[in-house]
Order: sequence, then C-alpha cells, then structure tokens
Amino acid sequence: MRGWLAYLFLALSCAAQGQLDSLTWEATAWGQHRSNTLSNELVGLLIHGGHIDRTLVESAQAAQAGEMGAFGYASGVAVTWRSLRPWKETESRLCGSIQFKTLGDIRWTPELFDLVFTGNAGHLGRWDVLDGSRFRAGTWIQAAIGLEGANRNRIELGIVYRLRSTDARIRNGHLYVSEGLDYLSGYVRGHMGWAEGGSWGLAINAEWHFLREEAPFAFHLRVQNLGFTVAPKWTELQVDTLVETTGLTFSGPGLSVESLTESEGASEVITTLNEPYRFGLMPFRIDASFEYPLGPRSGWDVQAQIGDWMPVPRAVTGYRRAIGKRWQAGVQLVAGGWGRLRPAAWARWRKPGEYAWMLFVEDPFGWGSNAAYGRGITLRYQNL
Amino acid sequence: MKRLHTRIRFHQGLFVLLLAALAFGCKREPTTWTVDVALPLIDDGWSWVDVIEASSENGSIDVEEGAPAVLRFEGPVADWEIPSLTELPDTIVAQELTPDFMGGPFPVPPGTVLLDSEEDIVFQGIDQQFSGLVLSGGRIDYLVESSTNGHVELQYAFPSVTIGGEPVELKVVLPPSDGVAFQTESGAIDLAGAVIDLTGVSGNEINRIASRLVIGTPADITDTAQVYGTDSIRVRMHFQDMVVEQVGGYFGQETVAFDVDQTVFQPADFPGGFLQIEPTRATLQFRNTIAADLRLQLDALSVDGISVSHPELGVPQQIARADWSGEEVEPTVWEIDLLETAPLLFDLLGYLPEAITASGEALLNPLGDVSGGQDFLDTREPPQLYLDFEWPLEGAVEDFRVVRSLALEGTDLAGFTGELIVRITNGYPVHWNLNGTWDFEDPVLDPEVFSSEVAAFPMAEVTEVRIPIDEARLASSATLIIEAAMTSEGPVQFTGAERVRLQVACEGTYQVSVQ
Repeated sequence: MRGWLAYLFLALSCAAQGQLDSLTWEATAWGQHRSNTLSNELVGLLIHGGHIDRTLVESAQAAQAGEMGAFGYASGVAVTWRSLRPWKETESRLCGSIQFKTLGDIRWTPELFDLVFTGNAGHLGRWDVLDGSRFRAGTWIQAAIGLEGANRNRIELGIVYRLRSTDARIRNGHLYVSEGLDYLSGYVRGHMGWAEGGSWGLAINAEWHFLREEAPFAFHLRVQNLGFTVAPKWTELQVDTLVETTGLTFSGPGLSVESLTESEGASEVITTLNEPYRFGLMPFRIDASFEYPLGPRSGWDVQAQIGDWMPVPRAVTGYRRAIGKRWQAGVQLVAGGWGRLRPAAWARWRKPGEYAWMLFVEDPFGWGSNAAYGRGITLRYQNL
Repeated sequence: MKRLHTRIRFHQGLFVLLLAALAFGCKREPTTWTVDVALPLIDDGWSWVDVIEASSENGSIDVEEGAPAVLRFEGPVADWEIPSLTELPDTIVAQELTPDFMGGPFPVPPGTVLLDSEEDIVFQGIDQQFSGLVLSGGRIDYLVESSTNGHVELQYAFPSVTIGGEPVELKVVLPPSDGVAFQTESGAIDLAGAVIDLTGVSGNEINRIASRLVIGTPADITDTAQVYGTDSIRVRMHFQDMVVEQVGGYFGQETVAFDVDQTVFQPADFPGGFLQIEPTRATLQFRNTIAADLRLQLDALSVDGISVSHPELGVPQQIARADWSGEEVEPTVWEIDLLETAPLLFDLLGYLPEAITASGEALLNPLGDVSGGQDFLDTREPPQLYLDFEWPLEGAVEDFRVVRSLALEGTDLAGFTGELIVRITNGYPVHWNLNGTWDFEDPVLDPEVFSSEVAAFPMAEVTEVRIPIDEARLASSATLIIEAAMTSEGPVQFTGAERVRLQVACEGTYQVSVQ
C-alpha cells in the first residue's frame, strides 16, 4: 500500500509539473541487478521460487572462485526540472528534482556460499571464513530544489525520507568441523540492524559540466545523494559468540543437551541494542564522464562511477554515433560495479524542439539468457 | 499547452504501468535446495565416579589413580528425621469482647480503652517442653469483626515473637458497623524467620506465647461510638503451616523409630551384573547433631531384603548430646565397621542391589532432663548416617550393565535423510557388549535396534555403529537407550583413569525450503 502511494505521488508530481509551460524537465526510470556469481537463472529461482539444482550452485561456485561474491540491485524513478525564467535578476534558474530509489547490496565469502547452498559436509577439516559477509538495503524518496547556472551546472539541496533501512554484517566468523566429526568450532561476531520507522535527512545533488567551444572534448561530474539520514528507533541485534565442542554432554555444566533444552534459544547469545536514533550516511554516487568527438557525427565516451554501495567502481567506455537527424545510438563496455565485464547499448530518438526518448540496455544478451549475470534497463524522456 | 498536457497524462500512465509490473509481476513459490550436513552432536561417557555418584547425591567421591586405583567415598547417605520436634500443630486463638450491660446505646468517647489484657497463647498438642523456636515458614491468619456503631481500634501484640528483631504486632481500626452486618478485616502475618520465645508472660512457662490485647476507640478519630449491650468485638488468630528451623527446650523421653532405606544402584541405570567390591575401609557412622542424649539400637541391616548380622546390631548404644556451644556443631559419633558383617555386606553390594535398609529405634533423653531444658535441634544440621569407605579398584566384573537414556524432542527437518553415527571408545581393560534402542513415540515407526561389541583396552579400536535416520524419525519424540555390559576375564586391576566415551554425530542431506 505504501509503495502504491509513493508511485501515485510521483505520477501526480509529473502531471503537476507538466502544467507549467515555463519548465523544461526530464523523467527517468531504471532498474538493474548484477552479480559476479549468481546467474540470472539462480537469481530468478531465489526471487520467484523453485528448486535450485546442484549444477546451478556448482556453476556459481566456479564463477566465484576465491573472490567475494556480490549481488546488487538498484531501481527507481526520477524527475528533474529547471525553470526557463531567470532567478530574480541573476543568470541562474530555479531547478529541482524528485526521486524514488531502492538499492541493495549483498556480499559473501566463497565459504559462506558453500555452507548455505551445499552444506558443510564437503568442508570437513577446513576452516570456513565468513568475515565481511554483508547485506544492506535502503529505499528512499528525495525532493530537492536548487539553482542552475551556465552550462547547466547545478546544485540542489534535498530533503530525504528513507522508507526502509537494513544493515546486517558478519565482521568476523568461522566454522570448522573436523573430518572425524568429533570437533566443531563456530564463531560469529556481527550485527543486524534496522530502523523501526522512516528516517529523515538532507542530501545534496550537484552537476558540473566542462563544455567549451574551443575544447575538443567535454567533461561532466555528477554527485547524487550526498547526505545523511537520522533513523528513529534503531534496533540492532549483536552477536559475538564462539562455540567450540567435541559434542554435547547429556547433562552437567557447560553446553549439554539438558542445558540446550532448557535454554531460551538464540536470544541467549544475541544482545539487542535499542537506540533512540541512528545517524547514517546516504549511499551517495559520484559519476565522472569524458566525451571526445571522433568526427562530426561520432564520439568516444568514458565514464567512471563510485558509490551506490558498489563493491568496486563501475567503469564504462563506448562509441556513439548520430544516425540521421533524429537518431543517436551507441555501444559500450561496462566493467566493475557488482559484476564482471558486460556489453551495453543505447539509442536516442528525438523530435527536434519538442521531446526525446532514450533507452539504455545493460547486458542486452542477459535479457534472453539464463546464463548471464544480470540485466539492466533505463528509460528516459526529455522535454526539450 | 493542451498537447503538452496530453503527453504528460500518457507518461503518467506509462510510469504507473511500469511500476505496477515491477511490483506485482513476481510470482512467489518456495525456493528449495539440498544441503549436505555433517555435525558432531554428543560427546559423553562414564567413569568410575559416575558409577558411584548414582548411589549418593551428597557424598564426595575421589578416585586416586594408581595400580590399582583407590576409590574413596565419604559423605552422608541418609538423614534422620524426628517429626515430633519439627512439626508444630496449627493453633487457633479466639477472643470475644461483649459489654457487661443490657440495652443502650451508651456513648463511648474517642480514646477509651475497653479491654487491656495480657495472657499466654498456649500451643496445644505438643508433648515436649519447648522454650524457644525459630521458624523457617508459617503464618498467622487473622480475622477481626465488630458490630459496634463506632470506630473500633484493636492492637494485638506478641512481644515474644520477633521478626528481624521487631516484635510482631497487629493493629486494626474498624469503621462503624451499620447495626446489621459486622465490620470485618482479615489478613495474614508471615512468620518466616520468626524467633519465638515460648516462656510466656511470666518467662518461666513452656509452649506459650505472651500476648497483649488492647481494644478501644481510636483517639485520633473524633467520633463517639454508640455501644449497645448486644454489640461484640471478635478476634481470631490462626497459627498455621509452621516449619521449624531451630527448637530448644526439653524434648522429653520419646522413642523414635530409626528406619533408613537408602537407594544404592538404580535399576534403571544399573540393571544387573556383578562387581567384585573388596573395600579396605568401610565404616557406617551415626552422627548425633542434637543437643540431647540418645540411646540408639540398630536392630537390623539388610541388602535388598537379605539380612546381615553385625556384633553391634541389637546392642543399645548410649550416644551423648552434641555440643552447640561453639559456632559450629560438634556432633557425637558412633560407628560400626561394615567389614565385620556376615555375610560380607560388600559381597552383596557387588550384585548391584537397589537398596540398603537399616532399622531400629532411638530413645531421646534416656536419662531424663539432665540439661535442665537445654536440648536443642537445628533442622539444617540433622542427625545423619555417614559412610566412609575406601575401595581398591581391583576384582572381577561379570556382565556389569550400565544404561544411559536420552529423551529426544521431535525436530521438524523436512526432507532430511542421513545417518546417526554412534562411536564408542572403550578405556576399560574389559570387554563390552553394547545394545542400543531408539524407541519412537510414533507407533507407526518401528524401534531402531543396534548392537556392537567393544574389545578391551588397550586392544580396542573405536567401535562405530551407523543408524539410518529420516524426516519421520526425527519428527517423532523418542528415547535413545544405550545399554553397555562389561565382563572381565577373571580379576582385573583398574587404574582409575578408565572411561567409556560415547560420541554421536550426524551426516545427511537436508532440503532447505525458503518461503
């Protein structure tokens, strides 16, 4: 229900802005998921349900090898606008944006993946390290207003309402079971925290564009969601427990069948921390892009992105070309982020002086293949 | 302008459709996969100490390792209780105040005392002459009733009953009665920890509590009571559920039965067999912790109904009073040497009997009140039978059986199939036969029975038994019973370090299901 209200709010905002003939604006909707380990088929089974065959798991193990596994997703809609009229007596114009975004990041060690999807029987006599495994997710709405100057350089200050915020992490952990099944050592030091209600905060969005007629290239720098939120009623479950046993005794002091039967379960090893508020940074993102014309109708682009909880920076390079008066298209190679090297393609169609549509597809082959490791799409409408 | 508006409505619809598809386009069914698990579950066992611990919860056991090892046991095996000294009868005290005149009403101004009397409350049904008590529990239930048309104040003080040094006192103010129904108030006074002087108002009595009852009109309520000749004020005090912690006085000449029935080997844990027990020291002591003389006569000693004789049996023993003059009691000890029984008591114990029974009687204060009413008992230090024995662990063992059972709650592990791996490591220089039964409460499931032979140490290898398990067996509550029988080839010498180790591990495949 809350989601529907958010969608309705966004749609109404679009409609309201559209009534104003003194504005120019653009709307973007995007969604992507990406992993360096989990194939689309495996992700589909995890999300939609079904039986995960062991071959799928083995394929994921092979893809992960000894690296940390990662899976991330991001989706949202955003509307940005700017006034056509100058702000008071200056050359600046009022601008603003409204954004709904959801973001998630999961990482795991190869051993944790094995333990979860194949069990520990194949790991006897091995120390399984769980350090650094993590899950975090956030969903927020941001409404921002600011000023736009020459070259469309702009800065906005936004108010953020974060609907959901979750963070779970194993800082240190291990599991060891001896080959003779006569010794077990398990340790976890970690936490899982979440906000009981929505969080409010502030964020800055900024763009700076280097555009010179005398320079044969362009450079763009964008900062999004650089800010913080304050979560009321933050609850955090903390655990720091080592279990080391050759097996339980039937009764007596220490860990025994009797004591486990009488215990209160996991609550005995979990400490619950309740804080009246928790200050947290927003998952910001910085984009830096470089465009170099190769000819009057073609060019070369390079882009680097950091932030958005991505485990490694995302790098994009590509070739673009204008086709006729209305079409523009490009092909790209994308590396980093949550996944491995993959292709991307985009196309833009415009009606001069009125509007333009742009479609960007990341890993186009991933849309028809279960073997790919993610897919992404961006749809943008620009009111020119 | 109109065109722009139309375009915006088209895009609005597009957004809503796109987001609705994202939100509701996902059909969800359980995600399942299989995992192979292997975990250690149980690591337990039993040693010589476990064998002896089953026969006493109070004694201290020490196994001195050597060749042979020496097992020592020293501790109480039974307490002797004297109910007449520790159980006090309930006592009810009732008082009723009625005017000496007829008719009325007669005005009674505030602050008037109608009754002020001191008297002893006598505890009935006590044959002893108690002069003092300390209670660990008990209470006084009280009920006060008044039909007087005016406020009535009642003070019931017990100066000889103190709790934490403060005398117990009941103070009640009753509002005026309407002339039809009695005004009442009731409650309870907790007597836990109460120290009671039973010498009465005079200080020379026995079994009496001094009390002072004052009934009148409250001085601080400006109300003149109207009293009729038919009015009455009643007080009812019920002393009940009193549990004695300490008692002093003269306990009288009472003959108390002395019957002790002590469990030695629980058949559930030790169902049978023979263990050659040849102790080098074995004394049974009677420790008198009462500050009162006793004449004890043990008439019979039997092991599972088989009587044994001893030179001291049937002979009255004069046991002097314990000394309570210091901080700790100095008991008076009388002992018999259990190595002098015929047949030998430990030959009988070798057959793992369930109980030893001693019977006889004891006479309190056989010489009368020689202490001048200074007898004393603290129930926290009761008279005890005390066993002190030393047993070199050397001898023959024949089919000595030990049983361990474990109740298992049902566990819901859908789709689990695997094995329980039971491993036994024998540290005894004797051969074991092992039988196990996994008995399920679910009548559909047949019990899993397994057996194995375990060779004597040091030739023994780890014996492993694998029991198939599955979802249905794990879901049912069950009892795992393991019975081990030990047999030696003639007399063997134990070092005291012997231990049988029982390990249980689990291996299997489980289907994880996430909704």
